[in-house]
Amino acid sequence: MYEWLVEVHTASPHLFKALITGLLVTTVCSVIGCFIVLKRTSFLADALAHSMLAGVVVGYLFMKLAFGKEAHAPAMLIGSIVSGIITVAMIGFVSRFSRVKEDAVIGIMYTGIFAFGGVLVSLFSQYVHIDLLHFIVGQLIGVSDQDLWMMAIVSVVVLSFIVLMFRSLQLLTFDRVMAASLGMNVILLDYMLTTCTAMVVVTGVQVVGVIQVVGLLIAPAATAYLLCDRLKHMLWVSAMFGWTGFLAGYFLSEAYNVAPGAMIVVTLTAQFLLVFLVAPRYGLLADFQRRLKAIPQQVVEDILGVILRAQGEQCEIRDLVEHTEYKLEPIRKAVYSMVKKEWLCFEGDVISFTAEGRKHARRLLRAHRLWETYLQHLGVAEEELHERAHVLEHLHDEQAVDYLDDKLGHPLTDPHGAAIPEDFEHLVSGEVMTLAILREGHTGEVVSVGHLIVDPVSVGDRVSVGARENDSEIWVVTVEKPDGQFAKHRFNHEEADDISIRLD
Amino acid sequence: MNNDLPAIEVKNLTVSYGPVPALLDVSLAIEPGQLVGIIGPNGSGKSTLIKSLLGFVKPDFGEVLLFGEDAEKAKGRVAYVPQRGSVDWDFPVTVREVALMGRYGKRPWWRDLSNEDREIADYALEQVRMADYRNRQIGQLSGGQQQRVFMARAIAQGGDVLLLDEPFAGVDAATEKAILDVLESTRETGRTLVVVHHDLATASEYFDSLVLLKQRLFAYGAPEQVLHPELLSEVYEGTLRIFANLHNRSTGGQD
Repeated sequence: MYEWLVEVHTASPHLFKALITGLLVTTVCSVIGCFIVLKRTSFLADALAHSMLAGVVVGYLFMKLAFGKEAHAPAMLIGSIVSGIITVAMIGFVSRFSRVKEDAVIGIMYTGIFAFGGVLVSLFSQYVHIDLLHFIVGQLIGVSDQDLWMMAIVSVVVLSFIVLMFRSLQLLTFDRVMAASLGMNVILLDYMLTTCTAMVVVTGVQVVGVIQVVGLLIAPAATAYLLCDRLKHMLWVSAMFGWTGFLAGYFLSEAYNVAPGAMIVVTLTAQFLLVFLVAPRYGLLADFQRRLKAIPQQVVEDILGVILRAQGEQCEIRDLVEHTEYKLEPIRKAVYSMVKKEWLCFEGDVISFTAEGRKHARRLLRAHRLWETYLQHLGVAEEELHERAHVLEHLHDEQAVDYLDDKLGHPLTDPHGAAIPEDFEHLVSGEVMTLAILREGHTGEVVSVGHLIVDPVSVGDRVSVGARENDSEIWVVTVEKPDGQFAKHRFNHEEADDISIRLD
Repeated sequence: MNNDLPAIEVKNLTVSYGPVPALLDVSLAIEPGQLVGIIGPNGSGKSTLIKSLLGFVKPDFGEVLLFGEDAEKAKGRVAYVPQRGSVDWDFPVTVREVALMGRYGKRPWWRDLSNEDREIADYALEQVRMADYRNRQIGQLSGGQQQRVFMARAIAQGGDVLLLDEPFAGVDAATEKAILDVLESTRETGRTLVVVHHDLATASEYFDSLVLLKQRLFAYGAPEQVLHPELLSEVYEGTLRIFANLHNRSTGGQD
């Protein structure tokens, strides 16, 4: 690398200087750009870039009028930084104390300050010799030594700031509240970051101009964002994309003799679009592939349903093809994924449930039969019941199913007379349930009684649930009082809802 | 240590952002090892109380003591778990890095984190059973796991008092259960948890005691005392039937 640079330098000093400038500037732009992307302040960075015109002019004028120095670079740099900070401070102030929202305030302030710079340039045109065209499109070729030194200093200052303050900056960007609660001075940090951004923007404007500098800041960082899961990596990868984008853009511009600034921003953008397409996790193709691979919930649930209804709860793949509306391939894929998830297991060609798989299947069956009962309740024709419930059973969210169960009076059988599985997930030892949910055979201790029931049951009694009566609308329980007395009681749904029992 | 001192003591706290005080003359003391819920209608000062405990807002009057110390001094002992909605889940940061953030306050910015810090962060992740996920980006976790990561960060911070802002907002039932488990196991380690909560129906189940707030402190105590229908209808300005129901549930109907 070093030898190559020396060679370039001796062959063409101009090219050499342009390369050094470009690499320095893209590095520092790409790195600080990561924070701009993560803090979502691209528009603010744009504002900083524009507002610096006023600062440049004021810096120029000051040195010219006070010391007679022409185009004094440090003064112009300081002027730009000061105007950048004033812009940010004014944006902060106005958006805080007026009802105008921040984006509008940014729009007002930066065009205003930019225009003010323009007015100054024309007003003092006999003193100030600033080429507005270069300001707008950049001037990579013909950077003065003085400018180059300043870029080097800016790069060192900004990169050291980021390396040294990495933890603070990470926390500031990720969780301001915590940063503040640890005693960090978040406002000061914000201003330091803004100052760095302003300095970096000033260097970036030299290369690609005021309009495109945002691309130089954001594009490499956003490209890295699509690839990285750690901020540290993102900073490195972003710098790398800055270099590749710059080098490709610069040599293309030489080859085709076009403006380097524009070409560089074009390659940076092309890079971004390419990565957006092919990034392994957050890319478009990856997303598409994931969607292709995903096994539709419906297929999985239909397969569970078929196995549960099959003889001995086992079947083969061809039975699944026969009893569902799907083709062999999606079924095979779904079955393999379910085996992997340990819902199903294979013995030869025979598929059967694991305990987990049976649980899911029963939950579906419960949902299906409750939906059927519900549809019948609403007067849906007998022959449509199964089909429509089949569609609805995929809504098997626990709360939705519990609602149906309660609304229908906790039915025991569906319209076809088949048993509705009970709420097996909650019915475990130690859980507190209302009596209404309990079926025959459950026992437990009463933990609370509402005011509907005054007499027969009280807290601390032992109960055992018997078979329901009167079209399963009456709950029958045998109550054992602490003194050993037994009695049988009957409750309607509302009363049964009011008694809570801790299961044995 | 400091066993006889309350974990949090708020004395006559008044905080305002304008002419109307957000908190008015609020006093309460929370014993260590409690799981306390703060309830109250929207805009009732719940978040302001949390911010005061964090030393974030300057009170107009009154003081906040943490283990008998001024809130400003005890800053490191209070850990804050942010509201889910305020976290950027796409941020390039892994589970372990989030837990490590808990150690940032212990080291000045010019010093590196030590191996001890890493061990503490890893141990905190183990405590919330998230050690296996340490290299995952935080957006790739379920809701309950995400909450656990931030609990780990708070534990790594060495916080004796954990402040949680609406941890149950917008999560499904399974996640809610998972979060509750984390809260309870964290409390069992002797830490004090203060949780802003919006769901009255679950408040009595989840917390040891409740703070009912609406600018003033309306009630503080055991859930069955706080969830009194008359009190609630005064604070929530309505005579919703649900209040009677809640009360039954929290007292087991013996009232």
